[in-house]
Amino acid sequence: MFTDLRFRLRAMFRKSAMERELDDELRFHVEHETEKHVRAGMSPADARQRALADFGGMERIKEDTREARGIILMQTIAQDLRYALRGLRLRPAFSAAIVLTLGLGIGTNAAMFGIIDKLMFRAPKFLATPERVHRVYTKYLYEGQDAGGDGFSFARFIDFSRMTTSFDHVAGISYQTLAVGSRDEATEMSVGMVSADFFSLFDAPPVLGRYFTRDEDAPPAGVSVVVLGHAFWQVHYGGTNVLGKTIRIGDAVYTIIGVAPEGFVGTSEHTQPAAFVPLTTFAALRGPNALTNYNWTWMDMIVRRRPNVSVVAANADLTNAFRLNWAAEEAFSTAQARAHGNPVRKGPTAQESKAHAEAGPLLMSRGPQADQTAHVATWVMGVALIVLLIACANVTNLLLAHAVKRRREIALRLALGVTHRRLLQQLLTESLLLALLGGAAGIVVAEGGGRLVRGLFLRGEEAGVLIADSRSMWFVSIVTFIVAILTGLAPAFHSLRGDAANALKAGSRETSYRSSGMRTGLLLFQGALSVVLLVGAGLFVRSLSNVRGQRLGYDIVPVAYAEVAERGTKFTTAEMHTLTERMVSAANTVPGVRSASLAISVPFWSSEGRGAPTVPGRDSLRKLGRYGLQAGSAAYFETVGTHIIQGRGFAESDVANSPPIIVVNEAMANAIWPGQNALGQVMRIGPDSNPYMTVVGVAENMRVDDLSGKPEFWYYLPTEQYARQFGRLNPAMFIRVAGRADDYTEALRKRLQQEMSGESYVKVVSLASLVANRQRSWDFGAKMFTGLGALALVLAAIGLYSVVAYMVAQRTHELAVRIALGAGFGDVMRMIVMQGVVFATIGIVAGTGISVLVGRWVEPLLFAQKANDPVVYGSVAGVLLLVSVAATLRPALRASRVDPMTALRGD
Amino acid sequence: MTEKLDLPQGTLDLLILKSLSLGPQHGWAISERIHQVSQATLQIPQGSLYPALHRLERQGWIGSEWGTSDNNRRAKYYELTRAGRKQLGVEAAAWEKLTAAVALVMKMA
Repeated sequence: MFTDLRFRLRAMFRKSAMERELDDELRFHVEHETEKHVRAGMSPADARQRALADFGGMERIKEDTREARGIILMQTIAQDLRYALRGLRLRPAFSAAIVLTLGLGIGTNAAMFGIIDKLMFRAPKFLATPERVHRVYTKYLYEGQDAGGDGFSFARFIDFSRMTTSFDHVAGISYQTLAVGSRDEATEMSVGMVSADFFSLFDAPPVLGRYFTRDEDAPPAGVSVVVLGHAFWQVHYGGTNVLGKTIRIGDAVYTIIGVAPEGFVGTSEHTQPAAFVPLTTFAALRGPNALTNYNWTWMDMIVRRRPNVSVVAANADLTNAFRLNWAAEEAFSTAQARAHGNPVRKGPTAQESKAHAEAGPLLMSRGPQADQTAHVATWVMGVALIVLLIACANVTNLLLAHAVKRRREIALRLALGVTHRRLLQQLLTESLLLALLGGAAGIVVAEGGGRLVRGLFLRGEEAGVLIADSRSMWFVSIVTFIVAILTGLAPAFHSLRGDAANALKAGSRETSYRSSGMRTGLLLFQGALSVVLLVGAGLFVRSLSNVRGQRLGYDIVPVAYAEVAERGTKFTTAEMHTLTERMVSAANTVPGVRSASLAISVPFWSSEGRGAPTVPGRDSLRKLGRYGLQAGSAAYFETVGTHIIQGRGFAESDVANSPPIIVVNEAMANAIWPGQNALGQVMRIGPDSNPYMTVVGVAENMRVDDLSGKPEFWYYLPTEQYARQFGRLNPAMFIRVAGRADDYTEALRKRLQQEMSGESYVKVVSLASLVANRQRSWDFGAKMFTGLGALALVLAAIGLYSVVAYMVAQRTHELAVRIALGAGFGDVMRMIVMQGVVFATIGIVAGTGISVLVGRWVEPLLFAQKANDPVVYGSVAGVLLLVSVAATLRPALRASRVDPMTALRGD
Repeated sequence: MTEKLDLPQGTLDLLILKSLSLGPQHGWAISERIHQVSQATLQIPQGSLYPALHRLERQGWIGSEWGTSDNNRRAKYYELTRAGRKQLGVEAAAWEKLTAAVALVMKMA
């Protein structure tokens, strides 16, 4: 054992000495053998030749001997690496092209992997038993349609907790953006409202103090205590002892009792919450009935199965609880309707609605309510893999071309007695080295590009450093290794194939047609995949322009929205009334403001609903759809830019005690009074005590909730009449500016803040930013597909260029003969360019076929866009043809300039 | 020319160890001695000799030392180590048994 080790070590460290010794030893042998033959009467020259011949291949014997020494592996790896590195240095452009290509391919995948992993696979940090922790999802039928996922009210959460036995931990959670801190220092931050049990799901003891107890999270009001997030503690308190201090969060003041450990985010998928407060405490602030009210659905339920309970059993338990809870909620809404004097309607039972609850994935993106982002992210991951395949095909192609050039060298080495295995190992080392460098480049690409991409997918995510993330690094390593094998095997086998004598004779000119067949195949494969990606890019770009171009029934760019957060400052109805008026006048004093109007519903933010109207002689208007209610000042319609198509909008004269009026939108008018004039009709909203209102105008349709569904029903009331019928107004308004609202938000906020008192403050956002959130999935679908499609196209162009350039080099002889026989400049150009065009055409046909097949699956992700859009297919084909011509021009020029004299004389 | 036999698998090590048991020798001499002693029947394939020597050295059965040959040239001399001597005993015994057994079978009537 010891000798062995010493021997190996010596072999490694004193390699050159050992190499010399081996040479000496073998030379000694040959000399002795020669002398023997001379003694037997041969001429010295013959004797030496005979001795060498008997000895066989000197290189091979050396090789075998080295192998016998047992250092072969380590030594040859080092040797191969040196050899490969030398090769890289000798061909810098070639190597750089390969490393860059692989870097882009691997980098794209690493970046996407990070996102997908985060969205779909990785359990939250510190979670103790991720396999037993679930989020509870509900499903039922609503008017024949699948519905569900409407979140939990506190009361429903309590029902589910009491009515199930399968879980050892039950926690309600909600993350909301609240103002944290007092007055000047107040910043809006994510705050977690969680049950006391929540913390025991994690293996994350607080770094300071403690978490809250069940007693502090118990009805009727809980206790106002708070656990700070680590980052918030560091930034705002410099990591000092904060226990016992108080902090204002939202409308209440809490006492700090602990600090969560570094990196603790709970189950938040986006940002690290600044603080965690008890669920009950927060809920109870909402009012006396907040804990028993089923209407306020604002939270999610997290459960942990007992170790011996299966998911199936847990689902049955949850479904049973949901059905019991269903009856309770039904009773609640009946009681509520009676109290408000509304007609009592009997809803379907739990059985009729096929009510069902299940313990699903904790990560939202994997659950039944995954948003579009997760779906698109999954597709983009697939696309990234395709880009990697294209990159691999490209690199294989380059290496194949290189392998052909090296045939003479390889044949020579084989003839010298180097074994196939040894050569294969060396060739694979080369491709592994290239892949490793590509992987390293990929990490750089992913690090830089990843930030950009992650910004698109993960809102407000602090981008971590990829290199510090072991899962991503594993992914990169595995991908790199696979890439090395994929790109290395074909060229390596190609080099070793074939007969040495022929290769030596033929020189570097390619003799076998098969290898060029393989290269062509790879090229077509790239072309086809590029077409698929470009078609995808085209479809998403069209979707994005469709969604952007879609008129939502109001203007977006010039409109800002402002609202007041009261933060515990209590205003009386009268005070509120003056405040809202003061706000409108204040807004109008800001330079650039055109008009301002109060509002109660905000697109993609919050909608007011008061149910279906009552129209004399009509019933079941509820069945027609859902109705939204907007209230506005006289300037409402001009402020948001909603067109009045018939009749009039609001006027200054529509005050509280003037005749009640209403404006409805076109969809609603057509649904209720098809073929009739809506103007002059009357309707009532809410309880019988409310007055009938006369329809004075019809507005264009508006979408505030769903970009792609059926048109929504909306009716509009003047604010004062709304306030008279339904109570107080919220201090919220739209402001129209000249130019982009985004440029005015800060100026508006400053001006409006001057009107505030106490802890209340003003928040101003542009409508564009609210709408952009909804367009996100198309936006990044378009960006990612376009980016990756362009990348694929560039790679395919490089591939085409290299193959055609190579073919031209191979055919120099033939071209020279043609030119010598009278072929003109144009003929040769045409011939070569046509070659590229033929490749492109085959690629287009194959790619189109694949796209048509795959297209069906992408269609649900598109916006008002058919997957088989001839415009998209046509443009992609055009682009590819253009690129193929561009890529072949240079080689074609070179071909047409072949000088027959030189070419035919050479070689 | 005398008839030559291919060496049965595994016997090369045994032959090398045996010829070294008579004293230190360099590679060429080992192959010559085996050739002569076997009355030119056994020809060691030269391609296998040196790998085998280096393998045996790695296994610790033989040692090596650079010395001066009879005609005053530097040569690498191999010699049996103690472990090698033991190994020779084991392999020789196994070989005796094997040949005897094969002979018995071949004489089967």
